[in-house]
Amino acid sequence: MKNESTIIDVPAESSSAMKGKAPLIGVAKDHTTSGSGGYKRGLSIFDFLLRIAAIIAASVAAGTMFTSDETLPFFTQFLQFEAGYDDLPTYQFFVIAMSIVSGYLLLSLPISVVTIVRPLATAPRLLLLVLDTAALAFNMAAASSAAAISYLAHNGNQNTNWLPICQQFGDFCLKSSGAVVSSFVAVVFFTILVVLSGVALKRH
Amino acid sequence: MKSGQAEIVETSKAIQKSGLMSRRNAILEFILRIVAFFNTITSAILMATTNETLPFFTQFIRFHAEYSDLSALTFFVIANAVVSGYLILSLPLAFVHIVKSKTQNSRVLLIILDVAMLGLLTAGASSAAAIVYLAHKGNNNTNWFSICQQFNSFCERISGSLIGSFVAVFLLILLILLSAIALSRRH
Repeated sequence: MKNESTIIDVPAESSSAMKGKAPLIGVAKDHTTSGSGGYKRGLSIFDFLLRIAAIIAASVAAGTMFTSDETLPFFTQFLQFEAGYDDLPTYQFFVIAMSIVSGYLLLSLPISVVTIVRPLATAPRLLLLVLDTAALAFNMAAASSAAAISYLAHNGNQNTNWLPICQQFGDFCLKSSGAVVSSFVAVVFFTILVVLSGVALKRH
Repeated sequence: MKSGQAEIVETSKAIQKSGLMSRRNAILEFILRIVAFFNTITSAILMATTNETLPFFTQFIRFHAEYSDLSALTFFVIANAVVSGYLILSLPLAFVHIVKSKTQNSRVLLIILDVAMLGLLTAGASSAAAIVYLAHKGNNNTNWFSICQQFNSFCERISGSLIGSFVAVFLLILLILLSAIALSRRH
């Protein structure tokens, strides 16, 4: 009798009992509260704005270095009295790398818009984080190698008999150093973008 | 009732499996950190022990070369030393991630520190790479002479020590990716 009553009663209650008792397993997936969606949407909007700022910084860096040619009006002891970014392979790498980085940033704007529209989806954010980290490393490589060459151009090196060329080519030096600074600003933006994506990926 | 029990057993198996995946993730992260530490410390030591004195007289007034003669190489040694120190100090935290299950905030902290170290290491490695390229090839347009023609073993040493550093950069990117995946899948 006892067994019969449990067999009859339990199926009638089981679905509601499971819905009532299952939350230990089920409710962990219930993330559709608007609270966490709101602050993640704010983070996504900030991410979008930072991306636009980083596009400006990266393209200014590429453009300034590209147009940094200088021709000296007078004769000096150097046989060459013309300087441009293509005289130094490191500066060539810099221009190419910054162009690639600004192109990548432009292409990542739609993905950023997707994270604004759907703030709780983790796949676009994860993709953005990975691509941003790779772009950060690439940008930093271009910026620091160009900075090493700029430092050498400004100060020279006595131990290796490398003379500083900035004493002759003042304008070229100024423009190329400015491009390097702008590129480091883009690196800072990238760092904030990666940290932002990491924080926004947290699940509560 | 039986189907209900089967459902409960199935979802608990899924949770066990995801727990196993995150444990595997954390163990892989721990191992990658150790490998990256060895790479950076090797690079720093290789670069810091460069010392070559030429036995004969050349047109250079100097016939002695070491890493401190070039400021980019000094920065390379310092950056690699700092990053290897950080990697050793973050090993206990990575170990805690293997054992503990609710690690979200410490993972965010680890991502922030990893990104900062990635920036520092990449800066050191690429500035040293630019200078090493210049030492190998020289530059005709700026009258910068390539010093590798005189200092052969010095040049080989500084070129070889760059490899470990770039491998560590790649490993740091992988570490950031693993932390992000672990953050995004926590239940």
